[in-house]
Amino acid sequence: MWKYSDILMDHFMNPRNVGSLESPDGHSEVGSPQCGDAMYLDIDIDDQGCISEIAFKTFGCAGAIASASALTEMAKGLPIEEALKIRNSQIAEFLGGMPPEKFHCSVMGHQALKAAVEDFRARCEEIEAILKKAGVTPKLVRPGRVYLSSEEDRDKAKSLLAEKLDREISVEVK
Amino acid sequence: MMDTVYLDNAATTRVAPEVLEAMLPFFEAQYGNPSSFHSFGSSHMDAVEKARGQVARLLGAKAEEVFFTSGGTESDNQALRGSVKIDPTRRGIVTSAVEHPAILETARVLEKEGCSLGIATVNENGELDLDSLKALVNQQTAIVSIMAANNETGVIMPLREIGETAKEEGALFHTDAVQMVGKSPIDVHSLGIDMLSLSAHKLHGPKGVGAIYIKKGLQIPPLITGGHQERGVRSGTYNVPGIVGLGKASELALTHLADSVAEERKLRESLERRIKERCPGAFIVAENAAERLPGTVTVIFRGIESEAVLTLLDMQGIFASSGSACSTGSKDPSHVLYAMGIDYTLANSALRFSLSRYTGEEQIARTVEALEVIVERLRRISPYTQ
Repeated sequence: MWKYSDILMDHFMNPRNVGSLESPDGHSEVGSPQCGDAMYLDIDIDDQGCISEIAFKTFGCAGAIASASALTEMAKGLPIEEALKIRNSQIAEFLGGMPPEKFHCSVMGHQALKAAVEDFRARCEEIEAILKKAGVTPKLVRPGRVYLSSEEDRDKAKSLLAEKLDREISVEVK
Repeated sequence: MMDTVYLDNAATTRVAPEVLEAMLPFFEAQYGNPSSFHSFGSSHMDAVEKARGQVARLLGAKAEEVFFTSGGTESDNQALRGSVKIDPTRRGIVTSAVEHPAILETARVLEKEGCSLGIATVNENGELDLDSLKALVNQQTAIVSIMAANNETGVIMPLREIGETAKEEGALFHTDAVQMVGKSPIDVHSLGIDMLSLSAHKLHGPKGVGAIYIKKGLQIPPLITGGHQERGVRSGTYNVPGIVGLGKASELALTHLADSVAEERKLRESLERRIKERCPGAFIVAENAAERLPGTVTVIFRGIESEAVLTLLDMQGIFASSGSACSTGSKDPSHVLYAMGIDYTLANSALRFSLSRYTGEEQIARTVEALEVIVERLRRISPYTQ
């Protein structure tokens, strides 16, 4: 048995933010080939560019499960760029210490977060590209919603997105 | 302290109270050296010889064919390293993909030193592929070394057929019987075994002592040289308490084989049945093998990682094991499961439960109850169980 801290054991026994989000803004599936571990991560990004919701599933040891739980707790509410800066040592600290042999377990969380952000960005870019072609400049784009500055482009944008993408995207004027 | 449930008897076993009792005098008043001239020491030779007889009876061997060593690993080393030194035209080692590292690592070292090495395969039930073995054994083979029973799956190997295969080409037949001795009957003479390794601590004896059976007439060069104890086959001052403990443990094991091994098998079968009923995604490794040890089983819990399960069991005082440990950043999943064609993720979901004659129904019930909750909890957070 590893010497795990009480905090780490608590995150292992009662992991926070477990599960999946309904139509998340970003989704990732990563695995650690050295370790056989795997993780799914969902994120929602709010209008300010912060992680508003986060949910994970993990196949891994107590250290992997606890560090995934810790990462989601730390990342929740943070701007994307800040969340991506969370280091392994900070996760270990958050968990009240970790056996050095288990440090590698937290790497998977980073990979998952990075991949989910990439997925989020790719989906936004896809929408932006569609709108740009039609000469529409959106105010804000998220994978599930688009804000426009004027009413006149609204119907055009809505029908265009419905035609090109197989998911529902709300178009609002703000 | 809660009652512990120890289900890792393939790793080591508790010392039987009778064994401890038999050993204690040789730590206290009877501390002499059996090799001494004076009676204070030499009288202890009787105890050593009594133990030799007890071990021999368990194996169906003659007492003079049993030599005491420090344990299974040393016995394995002597068998391999010794047999490739006998005849310069016979330097080949043939073994199997599912051996214990004491054999596999030693064989690889000898390969680097110029011996040829052939590794026979197993099928998806963990049973030895006899054809693959036959294809590897030839006139250059010094030794065929195949375990009697596997430490992870409990699968029992076809010793008689392996022995015949070795004999046909004039090779020696060694078996690492560390897991088998005391769990399933073994008769070295009728099975055509030339050498056999065993370890005391796997059969409720002490750690640090074991034996090698060497068939009468066979000259195996020593691994450890020195003061010519054990007729020069294994030097070093007699570990009298350990040897006495091994002897007593062997005597008790014979009784167990006759009286209670069926009970152990029943409990293991009940554990398997209840796990399958109550833990979704669980299946038994080598379930369809022709013959398995009474008390050893590996279970794969699909979708959840074994170390996480072990950690949760441990918190409840239930001790089992897994073939791999997530420690250095590279888990080596069990080479045994790999050889059976079980993939990486499944191998990382494998747990071994190994019973003993001290295991009771209540402990099995507690284990299943704990597993049911643990598996449910871990499957809920697993990405592999949608």
